[in-house]
Amino acid sequence: MTTETTFRNEPLLEFRRESVRAQALRALAELREKLPLRIPGSGEGELVSINPVAPSEVVAVASDSSRATAEAAVERAASAAPAWAAVEPAQRAAVLQRAAGLMRERRQELAALAVLEAAKPWAEADADVCEAIDFLEYYAAGVIELGHGRPLVQLPGERNRLQYFPRGVCAVIAPWNFPLAIPTGMVAAALGTGNPVVFKPAEQTPACGHALVEALHAAGVPAEALHLVCGRDEPAKSLVAHPKVHNIAFTGSCAAGLSIIRAAAEPAPGQHHVKRVIAEMGGKNCIIVDADADLDDAVPAIVKSAFGFAGQKCSAAARVLVHRDIADALNERLAGAIRALRVGPAEDFGSDLSAVIDDEACARINAFLDGAEHEPFARADVPAGAGHWVAPTLFVDLPGHSRIVNEEVFGPVLSSERVADVEAAVEIVEAGAYGLTGGLFSRSPSTIEMVSRRGIVGNLYVNREITGAMVGRQPFGGGRLSGTGPKAGGPDYLLQFVEARSVSENTVRHGLVI
Amino acid sequence: MCAMTVNSLETDVRAWGRRLAERLPDGGRHPAALAERRLMRTMIGDPRLRAALFRFVDVRPACRDRTDLVRHLHEYLAEAGAGSPAARRLGGLVGRRTLELPTASAAALGVAQMAHRFIAGEDAGAATAELGALWQRGRCVTLDLLGEATLTEAEGDAYATRCAQTLRELARMSAAWPAQPMLEHDGLGPLPRANLSVKVSALTPHLRAHAPERALGAARERLLALLRLARELDAHLHVDMESLDTRESITALVLELLADPEFADGPSAGIVLQGYLTDSEEELERLLGWLREHPRGAPFTIRLVKGAYWDHEVVMAAQHGWEAPVFTDRRSCDRQYEHLTRRLLDARAEGLPLRPAIASHNLRSLAHALAYGDRLGLPPEAVELQVLRGLGDDTAAAIAAAGRRVRVYCPVGDLVAGMAYLVRRLLENTSNDSFLAAQTTGAELELLLERP
Repeated sequence: MTTETTFRNEPLLEFRRESVRAQALRALAELREKLPLRIPGSGEGELVSINPVAPSEVVAVASDSSRATAEAAVERAASAAPAWAAVEPAQRAAVLQRAAGLMRERRQELAALAVLEAAKPWAEADADVCEAIDFLEYYAAGVIELGHGRPLVQLPGERNRLQYFPRGVCAVIAPWNFPLAIPTGMVAAALGTGNPVVFKPAEQTPACGHALVEALHAAGVPAEALHLVCGRDEPAKSLVAHPKVHNIAFTGSCAAGLSIIRAAAEPAPGQHHVKRVIAEMGGKNCIIVDADADLDDAVPAIVKSAFGFAGQKCSAAARVLVHRDIADALNERLAGAIRALRVGPAEDFGSDLSAVIDDEACARINAFLDGAEHEPFARADVPAGAGHWVAPTLFVDLPGHSRIVNEEVFGPVLSSERVADVEAAVEIVEAGAYGLTGGLFSRSPSTIEMVSRRGIVGNLYVNREITGAMVGRQPFGGGRLSGTGPKAGGPDYLLQFVEARSVSENTVRHGLVI
Repeated sequence: MCAMTVNSLETDVRAWGRRLAERLPDGGRHPAALAERRLMRTMIGDPRLRAALFRFVDVRPACRDRTDLVRHLHEYLAEAGAGSPAARRLGGLVGRRTLELPTASAAALGVAQMAHRFIAGEDAGAATAELGALWQRGRCVTLDLLGEATLTEAEGDAYATRCAQTLRELARMSAAWPAQPMLEHDGLGPLPRANLSVKVSALTPHLRAHAPERALGAARERLLALLRLARELDAHLHVDMESLDTRESITALVLELLADPEFADGPSAGIVLQGYLTDSEEELERLLGWLREHPRGAPFTIRLVKGAYWDHEVVMAAQHGWEAPVFTDRRSCDRQYEHLTRRLLDARAEGLPLRPAIASHNLRSLAHALAYGDRLGLPPEAVELQVLRGLGDDTAAAIAAAGRRVRVYCPVGDLVAGMAYLVRRLLENTSNDSFLAAQTTGAELELLLERP
C-alpha cells in the first residue's frame, strides 16, 4: 500500500509550551460551560456520563437505548447498505478525510471532552484525538488502495479480476478507554470499505462517541449509513444477535469478546452469512528486564507503561520479569519512582495519572489489592474526595498463583517477579493466556533477536515503553486470548471488513482473443 | 552592524583566532595523542564502527564480568561488521577464544582510560590534585557531579547531599590555592574560586515538561539550601540547562529563587543559555529583562553554550511531529551563537551586573567573543571562556597562554554514572558537524576561522 510512504501521524500538541497549555485549558473551560451535553437519540431511559474525578459533575446525558432501538437502527442501516456500497471508494475516502479535518479543527475541545468524560490526562487525551485523526487518514488511503483490487495472473483469452466488496452492516461495540481513537478506527474502517455502521459507544463515554458520529455525518456520511446507539449491555447484545449484522468490531474485555464470538457463531433463522467478529481483547503484558539493562531508561518506561492512564490500557504493563542480578536495584528504584507519582485531576497538567473510570472499576481493582498475598512494596498517595481514586501500587515477588500475577487487573497495579534469565522470562510469557504487548530491556543484540524471534506478542517494544502504538508505525493487536489478530492501524486491517470476489471473463470469441 | 564594522571585526576575529591557534600545545607528536587522533579519524569516517563502540562504552558498566563484556563487544562488532571492514577485523579478533580475556581487559581498560580523560575523578576529593594543578596553570574550574538519573526522592536527596559536600570540599581545597588575579577578579568584584554546576533534573524526580510548576515546588527546598550554603562558603552555584522539556522548569525556578531578597547580595550564581535553540534570543531577552528588574548585589553569570542535546531535540520533534526547536544547519547555529555573544557582551558593556561566559570548542566562536569584547573596550577579565575537560584541554591551554580567563568544566563521578556523559561527549566529538572533528581531520585554520 502507498499509505506507508505518504501517511504522516497527526502532530501531538506541544504541551511543553505554556501557550499551548493555556489554549487547552481555555477549551476545557468553554466546554464546561456547555455541560451537561445532551446527546440526541430515541431512548427509554437516561444514560448519564460523569467526570470520574468528580462524580457529581455530569458530562453528558444520552439515551439508554433498548433492544428495539438497536434493532431498528440495524434495519435502517441494512436498507442503506446498497446505496453506501455504491459510492466510489475514492469518495468514501474523501469523506473520511473530511471527518479528519473536522476533528482536527475541534481537537482541543475533543481532548477536553476525553479529559472530562474519561479522566484522561491531557497528553493522553490529545494522543487519543490524534490517533482518531490518524485512523481516518490512514484508512482513507487504504480504502483507495483496496478499491484498485489486487493483480492476478493473466493468461491469453481470459481476464481475471479481484475486487473487494463491502460485507454489510457492521456493529461497532467500543470501549471507554480510548473513547475517540478506538471507535474511530473501527467505524472508519467499516464505513470506508462501504459498510453501514451501527455504533454503540461505551456507556461511560457517550459524548465522545457522539462527537465522532457528528464529525462523520458532517463530513458526508449519510444519516442512514451511520447510527449511534447509546446504552448499556442490552443494545450491544441485540446488535450481536441481529441476523442483518455481518461484521462485529469489538474492543473490550476477554470475557465479553469470547461471549460475542460465541453468540455470533450461531446463525439466526433466515441469516445467510457467517458473522465475522473482529475482537481486540485483553492482555497481561510483561516487560522483561535483562541484567545488562539501563535502569535509568527502564524505570521511567516501566512506570509510564504500567501507570499511564491509571493502567487502563489493554497494552499496559502488568508484570515486570527482571533478571535476579538486578532485581533488588530495579525494585527499589521502581518503588521510589512510584511514590513520586502524582495522582490528581486529569485536567491538571501536573497529574501523572487520574481517577479510574467508575466505581465498579474501583471496586474490582480494590478486590485485587485486598486479595493480595502480601503487602505492597510501594504505593503512591491519592487525593481525598469523591473521585474514583486507586493508588498506583507495586507488588514484588507475589506467589505464582496470585490473582494479581495471573489475571488482567486493568488498573494501576504492577507486579515485579525475579527470573533466572531472559529465557526463563520468555517461558513465563509463553505460559500466559495473552499475547498483546510485551517489552524487553536489554543491550545485547542477540538477546533482542532471540526474544523477537519467539514471536509471543503482537507488539514487542524493545528498550522503550510498551504503550502508545502509533497508526502506521506500530500496527496494534495480538493473538492468543488477546484478540482475533487484525492489526489496527496496519496495512491488513481493512481486509477484515470486505469480501474478495474474483471475476474471470472469457475473452475468446470465434477463436479470436478480443 | 554596518559593513565596515563587520569587516574590521572580522580582521580582529582572525587575528585572535591565529593568536589562539599559535598557542595550542603541540600535542600532536605525542604517541598517545597520535593514536587517539587516528581512532577519532577512523570513527568519523566509519559510522557503523562508531555506533558499535558507543554501544560498547554505554553497556560497559552494566556487564557483570569480562566474559559478559566480550559477549557484548563481539555482538556489536558483528552487527557493525556488515558495513564496516574495520569492525569486522576487530570482531574477528575479539571472537577468538584465546584472545577473549586479554581483549576484554584491554577493552575495559580502554574505556576506563577514555573515561578518565573526560571525568576528573570519583569525587571532588579524588580530583583535588588535578583541580589544584589546573589552577596553578592559570585555569579555573567548575565541577559537575555525574550520576544516574534521579527517579526517586531518595536519589534527589543523595544528589543534593553530594552537591553540599562538594561545595565544602571545593571551598576547603581552593583556600590553599595561590593568587591568580585573572581568575579571581573582574570589574564587578571578586570571582569565587569554588564553583559548582548543578542539574535540577538530578535534584528532583518531579520535572515535568507539561507542568513546570511541579518542579518548582519539589526542587525549591533543595536548591534553596544549596544557594544558602554557597553564600556561606562564598562559592559560585551554576544551574545547568538540559533538554528543552525542562528549560521552563529550570529557568522559572532559578529566577524565582534568585529574586528573593534573601539572595540579593549573594551567592554568585548563574544559568545557561543554549544557542542552538531557535528561540534562544527571546530567552536571552527574558534573562536580561529579569536582570534589569532584579538588580542583585552579586553579579549574574550567563553561560552561553551551543547545547548538548541536539540529537535528542531533533529526534523528539520528529517523533511527535513538531518543528525542530534547534537550528538544523551548523552555519545558522554558529551565526546565532555569535549574535548571542554580542548581545551578552553589549549588555555587560551597558553596565548590567552580568558576567558573560562563552563556552565553546569552536576556535572561531571563542576568537569572535574575544575580538568583540576588545572592540567594546571591555577589560580582558570581563570575558570568560569555558571549555569541557577532555575535549577542550588544548584550547584551555591556548586561552591561558594568551592571558585570558578560561574555566574548565570538570565532571566528577564513577564510571557507571559517567557513561551517559562520556557517550554524549564522544558523539559530539566525532560528529560530522563538530568543530573538533574538523580540527582533528586537519582542516585549514583559515577555513576554520571563516565567518559562519
